[in-house]
Amino acid sequence: MEGDKRRTKEDTWKSEELRKHLRTSEADSKNEDQKHREKKLQKEKSVYDTDTHKHERKDRGKSKERTKERERFKSSERDRDKMRERERRKEHQREEDRVRYKDKLHESSLEKERYSISKGRESNREQDKKHKRHEIKQIDTQDNLKSFEGRDKEHHRRRESRHHLEEEKKRSKERERRHTEKKDNDTKKSIDKFLAYKIEEVERVHKFQKDQELDKERERRHRENKEHSIRPGKERLSKERSHKHYEKDEEEKHKSKRSREGSSHRDREGQLADVYERVKSRENERTRRDLRNSEHKEEDKIQEQMSPQHVSRTVRDKGQLIEKEERDTRQEEMKNTRIYNSDTGFDDFSANYEDDFEDYEDDFEDDDKSGKERDAEENLSEIPFSRTSEIEEIRRAISAENDRICTSLPKKIENETKEPVMERQYPSVRNSYGGIFMDFQLANQRQSGRSMASKQKKRSSELLPLIDLDFSVSFSLLDLPPVNEYDMYIRNFGKMNTKQAYVQCNEDNLERDTQTEEVETLEKWTQHPGKSAIVSGGPTTNQDISVNGTPTPKIDSQRLTNFLRSACRVIAVLLEEDQVATEPRWQQRSRQTSLSISDSCFQLNTNQPFLHDRKVSCLHFSQVQRQTLLSVHGLPEKASVGLLNRKSIICVWNIWQPSSPQKVLICDSEVICCCFSPNKTTLVFAGTTDGSLLVWDLREDSRMRLQMMINGIDWTFRVPTFSTDGILLSVNHTSPILAVEPVSTSLYTDKNYGLLSLSYQEEMSGPPFQIASMDENGTLNMWVVIELRKVDLAGSQTDLGLVPGGKVKLVHSSTMELSNSLFPKDVHQRMPQTLTIKFLSSDPNHFIVGTNIGLVGHGTRNGLKVLPKLFRPQESRLRSISISAIDFFPFGKPLFLVGCSDGSIRLYQMTSEYPLMQWNDSTNGQPIIALQWALTRPAVFFVLDASSNIYIWDLLENDLLPVAKQTVPSENVVTMTLLGEPEKTNGLLGIVLAKESGQIDIQYVKKKWALPQPEECEKLHLVLLQSF
Amino acid sequence: RFKSSTVKECIHTILMEKLANVEYVPEEMPQLTKSLSEMIKDRLKEEGFDRYKMVVQVVIGEQRGEGVNMAARCFWDADTDSYAHDVFMNDSLFCVVAAFGCFYY
Repeated sequence: MEGDKRRTKEDTWKSEELRKHLRTSEADSKNEDQKHREKKLQKEKSVYDTDTHKHERKDRGKSKERTKERERFKSSERDRDKMRERERRKEHQREEDRVRYKDKLHESSLEKERYSISKGRESNREQDKKHKRHEIKQIDTQDNLKSFEGRDKEHHRRRESRHHLEEEKKRSKERERRHTEKKDNDTKKSIDKFLAYKIEEVERVHKFQKDQELDKERERRHRENKEHSIRPGKERLSKERSHKHYEKDEEEKHKSKRSREGSSHRDREGQLADVYERVKSRENERTRRDLRNSEHKEEDKIQEQMSPQHVSRTVRDKGQLIEKEERDTRQEEMKNTRIYNSDTGFDDFSANYEDDFEDYEDDFEDDDKSGKERDAEENLSEIPFSRTSEIEEIRRAISAENDRICTSLPKKIENETKEPVMERQYPSVRNSYGGIFMDFQLANQRQSGRSMASKQKKRSSELLPLIDLDFSVSFSLLDLPPVNEYDMYIRNFGKMNTKQAYVQCNEDNLERDTQTEEVETLEKWTQHPGKSAIVSGGPTTNQDISVNGTPTPKIDSQRLTNFLRSACRVIAVLLEEDQVATEPRWQQRSRQTSLSISDSCFQLNTNQPFLHDRKVSCLHFSQVQRQTLLSVHGLPEKASVGLLNRKSIICVWNIWQPSSPQKVLICDSEVICCCFSPNKTTLVFAGTTDGSLLVWDLREDSRMRLQMMINGIDWTFRVPTFSTDGILLSVNHTSPILAVEPVSTSLYTDKNYGLLSLSYQEEMSGPPFQIASMDENGTLNMWVVIELRKVDLAGSQTDLGLVPGGKVKLVHSSTMELSNSLFPKDVHQRMPQTLTIKFLSSDPNHFIVGTNIGLVGHGTRNGLKVLPKLFRPQESRLRSISISAIDFFPFGKPLFLVGCSDGSIRLYQMTSEYPLMQWNDSTNGQPIIALQWALTRPAVFFVLDASSNIYIWDLLENDLLPVAKQTVPSENVVTMTLLGEPEKTNGLLGIVLAKESGQIDIQYVKKKWALPQPEECEKLHLVLLQSF
Repeated sequence: RFKSSTVKECIHTILMEKLANVEYVPEEMPQLTKSLSEMIKDRLKEEGFDRYKMVVQVVIGEQRGEGVNMAARCFWDADTDSYAHDVFMNDSLFCVVAAFGCFYY
C-alpha cells in the first residue's frame, strides 16, 4: 500500500499543481484565497514536517512508530489526493451529499462545532478509555472557556448559547446519525480505516472544487489535526502551565479579535439563521434532486439548480469570508497550541489516532453509504457530465470570485492588515518555545514572501494591461570611427612636446678615396697637315699662373718695350756682324780699301735703290749716341724713282748695322745741314735751302708714314713732323739755312745724359732745349722745341706746320741779325757773309760765326758784347777768304780750330783776338773742306782738303807740319767726319768719308793716332805756350 | 520623472573628476568600472528618483585608433522609462556610461 501510494504521490501532486496553475491563470484575482489555502496547507505540512523532525530529534527510538505515523499521514494526504481524483467522478452524485455536508458545516460555526464535537466525542471517549486525560483536557478547554467567559462573559456566553442552541439542533441530528452508524462501524473499524480516509478525501475534494467551502473544510482538517494532536498534548501535564499561559495570551488576543468581530458575529447570527433555513430548503431541493438524478434528469436542470445554489453560496460567501478569516486566525492559534501538544504528547498518539479516524468515519459513513449507493447507480452515466460540470463550476466560481474581489477591495485590505498581526504572534510563540525557533521563522518568511509576491503579482496583473511595453528605438551610445593612418601618425608624432630620439648612422655619407693625381688638362688646337712651323697651339693663359699661386708680375710695359728696343738693336747689330762675317766679298772689299793711316775700314751699305745717284752732302754724328750717324743725301742728278725724285733723303744709320739705314727721312726741299737733338736721338732737325726748318720725330709710329715696297723690302719714308715752311713768315728764314745747331741749356748735364742715354732715350720730355738756325744773310733764329702732350690725328688748326698725329713743334723764340750786331762797321762795309756757326759747348750762350772774309765773329745769344769781338788771322789785312770749318777743342779748353778756303789752319784761343798758331800752305793751297779734332787724343786733329787728302796733325809730335798725309785714291771725298768715343780709351777712332759717288766709308785710324798718350793736354798746353 | 539631462550632467561631472588624468592600464580597469558604476548609481539615488530602478552600465576601453560602435536597445515603457548616457574620451581610453531608469509601479 505504501509503495503504491508513493508512486502515485508525484502524479497526484502534479495534477494538483496543474489545477492550481489553471486557476491562477484563469483568475488571478482569486489568488488571495488560494494563497490562503495554500499557505495553510503548507503550514500544515510544515507543521507535520517539523513535528516529525522534532520527533526524530527527541526520541529516535520511537522513530519507527513515528515514521509509520508520518507515512500514514503522508499516505493519507496522498490518498486524499488520489481519492480526490477518484471522487471527482462521483462528484455529481455526491453533490447532494456535499451540499448537505457543507450546509451542515456552515451551520455549525467552527469553534462551537469543534468544542461541541470534542466535548461530545470526548465525552464518549472518556467513557470508553481515557477519562483522566480527557478530563484534563476538558479542564484545559474549560479553563479556557472559563477564563474566556470570565473576561468576556456576556458576549461570549450569548454567542455561545445561541450557537449552542443552533448547533445542538444539528448535532442532535448528526449524533443520531453517527450513533446509529457507529455501531456498525465499530465492528468494521479496522477494515474501514481506509474508507475513512477516503471519506476524508472526498470532503477535501469538495473543498477544492468549491473554493468558498474550502476554508471550512480546511478548518475541519485542522480540526482533525487538532484532534490528532490535542489529545496527546493534553496528556502532558508538565507543560500545562506554560500552555495555560500561552492559551491565556491567545485568549486575550482572541478577545480582542472577537471584540472586533463581534459585530460580524452578530450579523452572522442573523445570517446563520437564514442560512439554516436555506439549508433546509436546499435539503428539500436535494431530495428532489436526488429524485431527479435517479430519474436521470438532464444536466441543464442540474446546472440551473446549481446556479441558484451558487448564487446563494456567493451571498453566503461574503459573510463567510470574514468568518473564514476569523476562523483562520483562530485555527492558527489553536494549531499552534495543539501542535505543541502533539509534539509533547506523542506517546498515545498512535493509540488515539485510530480513534480519530473512527470519529471521522462516524461522521461520514452515512454519506459514504449514500454516496456509494448513488455511485453504483449513477457512475456510468454521469462521469463525463460530472467533469464538464466540474469545470463549469470552477469557471463560475472564478468569475464570481473576480467580481467579489473587485467589489471587496476594502476587505482585502483588512485581510492584509490582519495577516501581519498574525505573523507577529508567531515570534512570541517562538520565544516561549525556543526549540522550534527556525521553523516558524522560515514558515513566516515564506508566508510573508508569498503574500508580497501575490500582492506584486496582482499589482503587475493590474498594471500590465495599462502598460504597453515596447521595443524603443535603439540608442546609439558610442560611435567611434576608426582613426585613419594619417591621424594616427599625427597623434603619435605630430605633437609639439613629443620627443623623438634620432639615431644618425651616417650610412648614406660614403667617402671614396682615390690615390691618382687629378689629370691636368689644357686646351690646344692642332692643324693637320702642318703647313707652317706652328702646327699646334692654344691659350697658355695667365690662369695657369694664377692657379699655381704665383702672382703675375706686374709688367711695366714701358720698361719692357725699352728693353726690347735696346735688345733688338743689340741683336740686330750682332746679326749684322754675323752677316758681315758670312759675306766675305763685302768684307774683303772693305778691307781692300784700307788706307795707310787706317787699320781697317768698312762701308755703310748705301747701295739702296732710293739712294742711287745721290750725293751725300752732309754727315753728322750724334753727340750723345756716338754710333748714330745722319747722312744727308741730296737730290739725284738723274731721275730714277718717280716718287722720291724731288725729295732729299736723310738716312739714320747705326754704324754697327751698316747693311741698311735705321730710318729714312724725306723732305721736299734740299737739306743743307742737319743735327740731332742734344739730349737724345729722337729728334732730327734739318735746315733746307728754301729757308725752312724741319723736325722729324723718330718715335713716331711707322704706320702713320708713307710706306713703300722697294725690291721686296718695306721702307718707311718719314715726312717731317713739323715744318716751318710757309708759316711764321715774319720771322722765318728767307735764305737757305746753312747751319742748324742745338743749344743745350747746360752742357754739364749733357754728359750725364750721355751716360744715361738709354734710360732717358725714350723720355717724352727731357730738359728743354733750343735750336739755332742761321741762314746766309746772317739771321740767327732761336727755336724752342715743344713736345705736345696730346696727339691730334686729325691735324691741328693752329699749328699748320704740324703733321697730323705729330707731337713735336717748334716755337720761334728770338731772332738775331748777326751781320749787323757782330761785325764792326769796317767789316760790315765789306758785306760779310756768315757761313758757319758753332756754339761753345761749355757755355751755350757764346757762339762763333765763320764768315767769308776770313774773320770769325764772336757773339752771345743775349746780344751782350764780349771780347774779343772778332778773331782775326795773323796777317791783319782783310782778305776774301771764307771760313769753311770751325771746331771746338773737345777736352774742355776754350780752343778752336778754323779751316779756311785758302788752305790755312788757325788755332785760336777764346780769349785772344789773334790765333795761337797758324799754319799756311800745309795743304799746298788746297781749300780745306773739313777739319776736326780727334775725339780721343787732344793733340791730334784731322784735316780734309778738296783734293781728297787727309792730313793728320799731331801737335805734340810736330807742330809745324802734319804727321801724315793720306790721299783717298779712288774718288773724290765730299765730306768727312770723325767717329769715336772719347769716354772710352780703347783707341777706337774712325773717319767717315763720304764720297762723291754716294759711298760712305768708315776708316779706323791707326792706333798711334787713336790711342791717347799720357798728359797729352799738359804737353799740348806747353806746346801752345811755346808757340807764343 | 527620470530626467535624462540632469542624469547626464551627474554622470558627466563624475566622469570628469574621476577620469581626468587616468591612463589606460588593463589591470586596473575592472576595478575602476565597478567603482564608477557604484558611484554613479549612488549619485543618481541621491538625485531622488525614488520610483525608478536604476541600471548603470560602465564600459571602459582603450583608445588605439580602432573603431567602436556601441548601441543599446530597451524593452520598456517608453512613457515613463528613460535613459541617459555620456561619453568620456581621453588620450588613452574612452568611457561610455549608460544609465537606465525603469519606473516602479
